[in-house]
Amino acid sequence: MSSLFDLPFEEPKAEEPEPPPPRRVLTVSDLNARIRTLLEQQFIEVWVEGELSNSKVWNTGHMYFTLKDPGAQIRSVMFRSALRLLRFKPQDGLRVIARGRISVYDPKGEYQLVCEHLEPEGLGALQLAFEQLKQRLQAAGLFDPRRKRALPALPRKIGVVTSLDGAAVRDIIQVLRRRYPNAHIVIRPTRVQGEGAALDIARALAAIGRVPGVDVVIVGRGGGSIEDLWAFNEEVVARAIAGCPVPTISAVGHETDVTIADFVADLRAPTPSAAAEMVVARKDDFCNHIDRLAHRVQAAMATRLHRVESRVRALDARGATIRGQVAARQRSYQSLSRTLETFDLRRRLGRVRTRLMAAEGRLAGATVKSRHRADGRLRATAARLEALSPLAVLGRGYAVCWNADRTTVVRDAARIAEGDRVRVTLARGELDCHVIDRSHD
Amino acid sequence: MSSTDPTIKDFEAAIAELESIVKKLEEGDLPLETSLQLYERGVQLSRFCHSRLEEAERRIEVLNERGQLTSGENVKLESDK
Repeated sequence: MSSLFDLPFEEPKAEEPEPPPPRRVLTVSDLNARIRTLLEQQFIEVWVEGELSNSKVWNTGHMYFTLKDPGAQIRSVMFRSALRLLRFKPQDGLRVIARGRISVYDPKGEYQLVCEHLEPEGLGALQLAFEQLKQRLQAAGLFDPRRKRALPALPRKIGVVTSLDGAAVRDIIQVLRRRYPNAHIVIRPTRVQGEGAALDIARALAAIGRVPGVDVVIVGRGGGSIEDLWAFNEEVVARAIAGCPVPTISAVGHETDVTIADFVADLRAPTPSAAAEMVVARKDDFCNHIDRLAHRVQAAMATRLHRVESRVRALDARGATIRGQVAARQRSYQSLSRTLETFDLRRRLGRVRTRLMAAEGRLAGATVKSRHRADGRLRATAARLEALSPLAVLGRGYAVCWNADRTTVVRDAARIAEGDRVRVTLARGELDCHVIDRSHD
Repeated sequence: MSSTDPTIKDFEAAIAELESIVKKLEEGDLPLETSLQLYERGVQLSRFCHSRLEEAERRIEVLNERGQLTSGENVKLESDK
């Protein structure tokens, strides 16, 4: 029944107007109380980030400040009890994350943030404190590598500054006993965490550095939270380490824990056990090292003696004035062996001696042999001479005929005339003969 | 154990000198007499080192608040558990 034409003119159905709420008038106090209730219930715990400004610590110990960002700000307070727990120093301009609750001050109609905890943005509070102290000590030159002292290779007494209750002291003793059974350990017990621990550690370091014979100190504790380890990030400990008269090894917590003490110490150990390993090498390693050196001294000496021996042999080969040389060698060797006998490693030198004696034996043998050889040659020559001797032929019935002067053996009858005289040698005796006749072959 | 020798400063010095003797001897070509002297010194040094290794007392002491040293073997007993 309605037409399109009519539509724009249709009146919307009017709603019944609501009756206005009953008017209730509050006092300012009521209002503020209600606001307070509302806000304080709503914001029991809130985290808010902003920049610290206008901070001021009153003589009550409370700190008042403003937390702001580019668009807004909020008044804040941190009471003394909470402020005391902060490791770092809140400074204006620091970007922080604050934890707290909203509190409304009725009389002024103001609200503020009651800050219970504050941490620097980006870094934790402890990290900030750490960085602040680190920068200060670095500037003071406490981390200078030139300050680092070398540990003694073999400590006389090893000082340990730690708690008697912790695992650290046990680990250190066990490792030391294993590596170096006769190590002399001096422990200065100290608290390592909680109120006053830092001062205690500092005093312990000063005391142990004065014990006669202590020439290296391990200071540390076992693992724990960063708060547990905090004493080792305190300036008083850092200064005590720097002031310790003997080289100091820091050994705090685990490998990943790095403390200010580590930067100041002469050497940083990742753990207490590791510190014990650094402070003294294994006794066996020491012994081996020394033995190796001693052995090389001996080997070098043996080589030297061997050269003497070779020269003796060379003389032997030349066969020159053998007796005299041997005697000289013998004398020098005897004085040598007298010197050597006073030394340890007799066995090894004994071998050298044996070789030398063998050389002498060969020399002596050589002289005897050559004499024998000469005798033999003589006999052989005599035999050969004997074989050539005409006497031997004469013995078999032959005779030798000489000329009258007995200068030439007569071999040809043509050389002799009838009536000449000749001499004839027989096996026994000689004949003086006249030649009566001769004939040719 | 006596390891006092006026010619040897300390353990480190002894090791260092021993090492240098080894080097000299191994480089060779020293007169026999010099070699023997070095050898003798080397033996002396290695003896010194060994005696120093035995020298330290196997001992644990505790330094108390008053600066007194007391036996700390009980600490060790605890650690053996």
